Amino acid sequence: MAPPQALVQERLCGTCGNAITAQAWSADGEFLAMATAGGELLLLDFRAGCEELLRGERDSSLDVLGFSPDGRFLMAAGQNGELLLWEMGGTGVRPMAFDPVPLQAGWLDAAAWRPHGALLALGAGRRVRLWDGERRSWREESQELVRTVLSLAWSRDGQRLAAACHGEVLLWRPDDIDELPQRCATGSAGVALGWSDQGTLLASGQLDGSLMLWPDGAAGRGWQFSGFPGKVRSLAWCDQPGRLAPLLAVASTDIAVLWSQQDRGAKGWKPEPLVLHEGRVNTVAFAPGSSLLASASSDGTVALWDGRGRLQQLLEGDGQAITCLRWRPDGRHLAAGGDQGQWWLWPVTLPPSVRSRSQPSRPPRSGGFAP
Amino acid sequence: MLSAPSLAPDRERLPVTVLTGYLGSGKTTLLNRILTHEHGLKVAVIVNEFGEVGIDNQLVIDADEEIFEMNNGCICCTVRGDLIRIIGNLMKRRDRFDHLVIETTGLADPAPVIQTFFVDEDLREQLRLDAVVTLVDLRHVEQHWESEEVQEQLAFADVLLLNKTDLVEEDALEAIRQRTRAINPLARVIPTCRADAAMDEILGVGAFELDRALAIDPEFLASDHDHEHDDAVSSVAFIEARPMSYKKLGEWIDRLVSERGPDLFRMKGIIQFDGESHRYVFQSVHMLVDSARDRPWRAEETPRTDFVIIGRDLDESALRAGFEACVA
Repeated sequence: MAPPQALVQERLCGTCGNAITAQAWSADGEFLAMATAGGELLLLDFRAGCEELLRGERDSSLDVLGFSPDGRFLMAAGQNGELLLWEMGGTGVRPMAFDPVPLQAGWLDAAAWRPHGALLALGAGRRVRLWDGERRSWREESQELVRTVLSLAWSRDGQRLAAACHGEVLLWRPDDIDELPQRCATGSAGVALGWSDQGTLLASGQLDGSLMLWPDGAAGRGWQFSGFPGKVRSLAWCDQPGRLAPLLAVASTDIAVLWSQQDRGAKGWKPEPLVLHEGRVNTVAFAPGSSLLASASSDGTVALWDGRGRLQQLLEGDGQAITCLRWRPDGRHLAAGGDQGQWWLWPVTLPPSVRSRSQPSRPPRSGGFAP
Repeated sequence: MLSAPSLAPDRERLPVTVLTGYLGSGKTTLLNRILTHEHGLKVAVIVNEFGEVGIDNQLVIDADEEIFEMNNGCICCTVRGDLIRIIGNLMKRRDRFDHLVIETTGLADPAPVIQTFFVDEDLREQLRLDAVVTLVDLRHVEQHWESEEVQEQLAFADVLLLNKTDLVEEDALEAIRQRTRAINPLARVIPTCRADAAMDEILGVGAFELDRALAIDPEFLASDHDHEHDDAVSSVAFIEARPMSYKKLGEWIDRLVSERGPDLFRMKGIIQFDGESHRYVFQSVHMLVDSARDRPWRAEETPRTDFVIIGRDLDESALRAGFEACVA
């Protein structure tokens, strides 16, 4: 068999002053934002071909970051416990900062925008609060958990919100305030939460080295898969439907594991360990619109795998641990960040084995970023 | 039971000091001293009662004590979930500081804090426990002596600061010193006034390094410490000149830890095994056990086994019989 064609031929890169903690793309793929452990927030505007430091280095880190799906807002939060919001004016227009909102709930690191519109769920201590971009204010109702919120995930249709803490995952419909939340017991703390694209499966990576999976829209009893070598720190669902369920990738210690459902029931799930990295796998991410999986490791590499777990290419940075990964919504560009502040942007050619039938093709218009 | 973690010293890992002490014992005073002292270290501090530390410092971080039971609520498998999260975030700013101090609340059991650094894979890899420093309020400790928290804080200590010497007479200090010794003969005891211990007695102690496993106060070994105080927490120390059997002692410790783990706060030992030219070092925190082959016995040393157990409701004669049955 001929060696796989190289998927990545070139790259853009740049440097921030501190470890990159989070990256986010705008829904139209025109903006890439990056936050650092030194509190910097860098915004790359691809159409205008410019970059702007929205927030300079300071004493406290930023740890979570995201654009509202309607493209109107950018949020960031972190160590100092404030929610930071910017209103995006479109490409070439300077984003306008809102006054920081102190939450008095310690270090903030769990937040997620609803997949449509501009509703932000934010873990503030043991509460999940909702900031509504339409009204530019907090919704009155919030959800209380038994412990600190560690992870949040919206279902794809935006109807249901899941929040994980030690001991349970809470599920509710934020638009239906009269409905009691559903509580799913877990034996430990959920640190990575994700809904499958169709909303039929909810997965939670647990601190105790297990993976919890709830079928049937999380109405059914949860399945627990244990025996991982360490905490299950990251997980990602493939957005392409599988025969029974989409592919699920998880990261634990220095391996990524590709899970596929080959038969009905819990026993039908089969793990395929992707053994390659020589350091902790920090995050895994499927390219939107395909089954191409990227895994980023503290060994300084990003590996690209097809949906059957075959290595397609190994990308090397400059040796620093790679801490975060974000696919551009077009599924053709991969952003990564390192623990010494370096960031990379790799244009990726999809191999035939991962392409889906209807692939939106949107070539990038990258401007002034020289490698 | 949890698998044995590696406690091997590693200069790359960030040292962590755990600061315990009952309410009003002077933790905040000591924290303020640590933060202002010209020791050349950049110290990050995780506090529980925000606002108490009177210094405006970017590296003072608030955390709410949150206990995670990892395994059916067994005390040996409890960790501080808030520390896993906060330190995980903080370590991305590793270049900003070179020592971490964790203040526990006055009513906290120190065990979950200690266990967090051995149980969590990320913290274990990136940090190392330097010492547990416990402050004792000389003026008021008599009133709280029966409290479980006070006794646990004494039992887990590597460094005991008998604080507020200016407020008590010499003989009262001595009585308290004797009583703390009976509970914990391993800790280094330092009388202080306004928590004025030298910084190198508090930071960079290396108490969890195996090769410094044992420093039993000779006075403690010499005295037959009569049990005038019937404290629930106490200690026993064994000295054995005859070599021990590797197999028997290992099995005895395994059994002891699995049967009595929740009551065994700390154990430390330097062991002479039969037919072995090197000494072995051993320590445990509840059910977390670590041991290693250390250096050869030196020519000027008389090889022997020193073994100390600090725990609750210890039956000294039964433990002694069990230990002595392990002689080769």
